[in-house]
Amino acid sequence: MGRPVATGKTGRLVQAAFIFALALVLTIAENALPSLPVPVPGVKFGLSNIAVMYALVFLSKGQAYSIAVLKAMFVLVTRGLIAGMLSLSGGILSLTVMLVLMTVFGEKVSYTILSISGAIAHNIGQFVVITVIYTGMYMWAYLPVLIISGVVAGIITATLLRVIIPVLRRLS
Amino acid sequence: MKLLKKTDFIIIVLILVIAAAMWFVYKSRFSNVAAKAEIYYYSTLVETIDMRDKSERTFSIAQNENVVFLLDNDGNIQFIKSDCPDKVCVNTGKIHMVGQSAACLPNGIVVKIVPGGERSEDDPDIVVGR
Repeated sequence: MGRPVATGKTGRLVQAAFIFALALVLTIAENALPSLPVPVPGVKFGLSNIAVMYALVFLSKGQAYSIAVLKAMFVLVTRGLIAGMLSLSGGILSLTVMLVLMTVFGEKVSYTILSISGAIAHNIGQFVVITVIYTGMYMWAYLPVLIISGVVAGIITATLLRVIIPVLRRLS
Repeated sequence: MKLLKKTDFIIIVLILVIAAAMWFVYKSRFSNVAAKAEIYYYSTLVETIDMRDKSERTFSIAQNENVVFLLDNDGNIQFIKSDCPDKVCVNTGKIHMVGQSAACLPNGIVVKIVPGGERSEDDPDIVVGR
């Protein structure tokens, strides 16, 4: 799959802005859903990860990181400091893990594995911040829950991404 | 890049097996350890409850009367009421094993189960003749 070529600085800016807008819509949609009956703070589908993954795969890593950071700032403004920090730590760790996998394995890694790894990293990144803020919860007691929910969320995100890719490519 | 490859299933199963193994190790290590519950309000320890004291009661901490905890006959503790919007704390349900915790992040309240410390059921009652 070729990258959609953005012409010049303005083109890239518009692309990033467009994907960021998509990330925001997905974040809002996700917050509107009832919270999952999972006994661990921070476990979510991570729908906005779809936008971040698209940026990473089809745009550039710089754009993907800017979207993750901007998204965290949006959460900071709308949902408060702690939520913002959780979004930032989860987003950055998730993106970094996905970037490493793509760099190491290249085309051999599938969307599903990429997305699962990203989701698990997102959960762990958030949980680390919770642990730091609230004086040492035992991380590894929750690790299994974080991993399994990451697998489920990752499969859902990858499937949705597959559906969204053609639509996005037509627009860009 | 493909959506899904055959080897992915192996990787997914492997991840799930690792998660399950971690859970069993954790469970076998801590299921019978004497425990106490610590309640933190914005990282300050405000109350410690001995989980072996199995008399049912509900209580709140002085810092926030809108958040109500329940300690039940089986030695579980849980949030039963909170004024926060998302109710993650209430949904967490009962906790009793060392390492478990329940948190109400909007109110800054965290309940952690920690090892009971000095004394346990296995300790001798008296020591005679040194």
